[in-house]
Amino acid sequence: MIDKYKQAFREEAREILLDLESALLDLNENRDDTELVGRAFRALHTIKGSGAMFGFDAIAAFTHDIENAFDQIRNGRLKATADLISLSLAAVDQIKAMLEEASGQESAVAATSAQILAKLRALTGASEAPVKPVPAAGITPAPAIAGTIREWHISFRPGADLLRTGANPLLLLRELRQLGTLQVKADTSTVPPLAEMDPERCYIAWDMVLTTLADADAIRDVFIFVDGSCELEVEPSPSSPQEAGAGPAAPIEKRTGEGRRSSDKEAQASSIRVAAAKLDQLVDLVGQLVTVQARLVEVAARREDRDMQAVAEEIEALTTELRETSMGMRTLPLRSTFERFKRLVYDLGRSLHKEVELTFEGGETELDKTVLDQLNDPLMHLIRNSMDHGIEAPDVRRAAGKSASGTIHLSARHAGAQVLICVSDDGKGIDREAVRARAVEKGLVEADARLTESEIFSFILAPGFSTAREVSDVSGRGVGMDVVRRNVEALRGSIEIASQPGSGSVVTLRLPLTLAIIDGLLVRVGQARFVMPLGNTVECVELTRQDIANANGKHLANIRGEIIPYIRLSEYLQMRTDRPEREQIMVAETEHGRFGFVVDQVIGDHQTVIKNLGRLYRNVQVVSGATILGDGTVALILDLHRLAQNVIRSSSIRPHTKARPPVPTRGEVTA
Amino acid sequence: MSITFDDSATGGVVRLEGEIDVTCSAELKRVLIEAISSGKEVQLDLARASELDITAVQLLLATSREAEKAGVSFAVAGEVPGNIGRAVCEAGFDSFPVSVIPKVAPANSTPPPTGTPDD
Repeated sequence: MIDKYKQAFREEAREILLDLESALLDLNENRDDTELVGRAFRALHTIKGSGAMFGFDAIAAFTHDIENAFDQIRNGRLKATADLISLSLAAVDQIKAMLEEASGQESAVAATSAQILAKLRALTGASEAPVKPVPAAGITPAPAIAGTIREWHISFRPGADLLRTGANPLLLLRELRQLGTLQVKADTSTVPPLAEMDPERCYIAWDMVLTTLADADAIRDVFIFVDGSCELEVEPSPSSPQEAGAGPAAPIEKRTGEGRRSSDKEAQASSIRVAAAKLDQLVDLVGQLVTVQARLVEVAARREDRDMQAVAEEIEALTTELRETSMGMRTLPLRSTFERFKRLVYDLGRSLHKEVELTFEGGETELDKTVLDQLNDPLMHLIRNSMDHGIEAPDVRRAAGKSASGTIHLSARHAGAQVLICVSDDGKGIDREAVRARAVEKGLVEADARLTESEIFSFILAPGFSTAREVSDVSGRGVGMDVVRRNVEALRGSIEIASQPGSGSVVTLRLPLTLAIIDGLLVRVGQARFVMPLGNTVECVELTRQDIANANGKHLANIRGEIIPYIRLSEYLQMRTDRPEREQIMVAETEHGRFGFVVDQVIGDHQTVIKNLGRLYRNVQVVSGATILGDGTVALILDLHRLAQNVIRSSSIRPHTKARPPVPTRGEVTA
Repeated sequence: MSITFDDSATGGVVRLEGEIDVTCSAELKRVLIEAISSGKEVQLDLARASELDITAVQLLLATSREAEKAGVSFAVAGEVPGNIGRAVCEAGFDSFPVSVIPKVAPANSTPPPTGTPDD
């Protein structure tokens, strides 16, 4: 039981630490921002308080000193210097390490804690108002809030579930004592006869008088973690001397567990924490439901039973809605992922002696959690590369007429059923000729090959390129790029690279919005059925024998004046089927321009639950997965981008495009 | 932590050892009910207890009230360890919820005097 609470604390603490880290990094930019100091202080206070409550005593003790330092900054007794912020960031890492450590490793961690605290004392001790010697835990005088000493009457009545949340009322009293002088009276009148007692419930209530400099909010903060599972009243004691000129009589605030402290608290209360695994399970179940529903539609149609068809349709509508809702639950805004990189940029900037500012755009764009988790590494490598090889040293930048401080910009936006995530920098860009020379040297391409710029840049993603450290003085963009490529491909995404010499480069990751279920179009080729992602398809037209004859054997169709290359799936997949009198072309937008895909018949919409084909088929490029149809048979899901790409490579077909040049963006650079 | 009840002809001894907290409060309740319903004099041995949390304190309080009502003696034998006494005092109790009988070897017939924690 206790472990469960500890786990909950760990999760919560991780989030708080992220917020703390981001506050510290912002503070580094704006040293006088009191709001940020307050944010950092509150985060530290929360970690200290709940850490002590859940038995993370080492964390509580360690955080206590850092919190003190921020309290001094808050009161203007200490300056937020670069050193102090850097040390605080080290402290954040330390708290993280303490959270994750298995018991038994305390000594090594404790040594680091001691080092950090010693440095902190040296820093704070050098300030004008020296820090009070760190007092023994338990009797720290209040973090003074400017004001007068006042008496508060506090009534604290634990609710039925207070102890079950892992809270310990005695520790709360102890924490109150840290604010000032406390007189406590336990109210035992509600303790029931022994036999009727719930042994895990706190029946005792407390009436207290606290003499302190702290205000009502500071007192309430002590109870912040039991908010909602107790009744709390904090009132200025009637006998308390009201200072003349203290303004209007102190407001009498009365609050029970239901009355939350502020609007942002209310916002929190309206959401609940659910384990990601449960959501995965939900999506999995919805996936199965979608499959069964498809079978129901099929059976209803076969029986020609009107009533059953009506029910099947209704269930179909509900399933679609359920699917969208459950998928939506798994999406998270990209902001938190972006924010995480602030720290990376800060650390790398210090070690590379470069000044780099990280800016965001589109942080509210939402992505499936699975996708987000797998995005961390690629983005990290891209940012590292930009920092290491893209952005120049300050003096080089100045010489080139740029500002000394470089910028890395992360942006995200929706584009149809995909999300585009860009990492751009204003560094020196990629040396195209050097990449090309290297590619020729490695035998990836013929020396006289005519290549577009993006074709050249795509060599950067080739596995061999990444490990070749010696090219790092050429353009360098190689380290970890195959990691980027592999992760992005695992997400069925693609990568585009663009660069302007002297003014920077842009790497664009193109990712599907959701992973598990897509809207598809079911088509038939011979006896086999395939699914095409509906997001890509544009229109469906008929292909007659006459059209074929008119094209002189070329795989080109004239659709309202536009010449569109097509791929006959039965030929491409080498299926021996008779060509029907009328075929149909599904026209789809691919990364390589518009392409037509010739099929025997378009069957219709299909909610497609994507199943992986497994490792055995991972080299099959044109199929991105499989799905189970209503009648229990399996249909393969076609990857139209790759189909088009493969055809471009293996033949002379060049797509007719108005807007987009053919871009081999998938990253396979095969010689 | 350990909670034991030794029953003998003359009376019982409830012995608490180590940290007594919410994780064993159900067990403590069971033992206390058993002890008090034996109808005999019950002593509480805290000599080896290191910590009592609020659940333990309120269970002892309820047992003490029960015993008083039933006219059975329920008292701490010997001393309340200093830190426990202090903690109970910090929790706003004027005295330890169970009366304390001074350490007299045979605690047979001494009526339980109302004691205070020794801090």
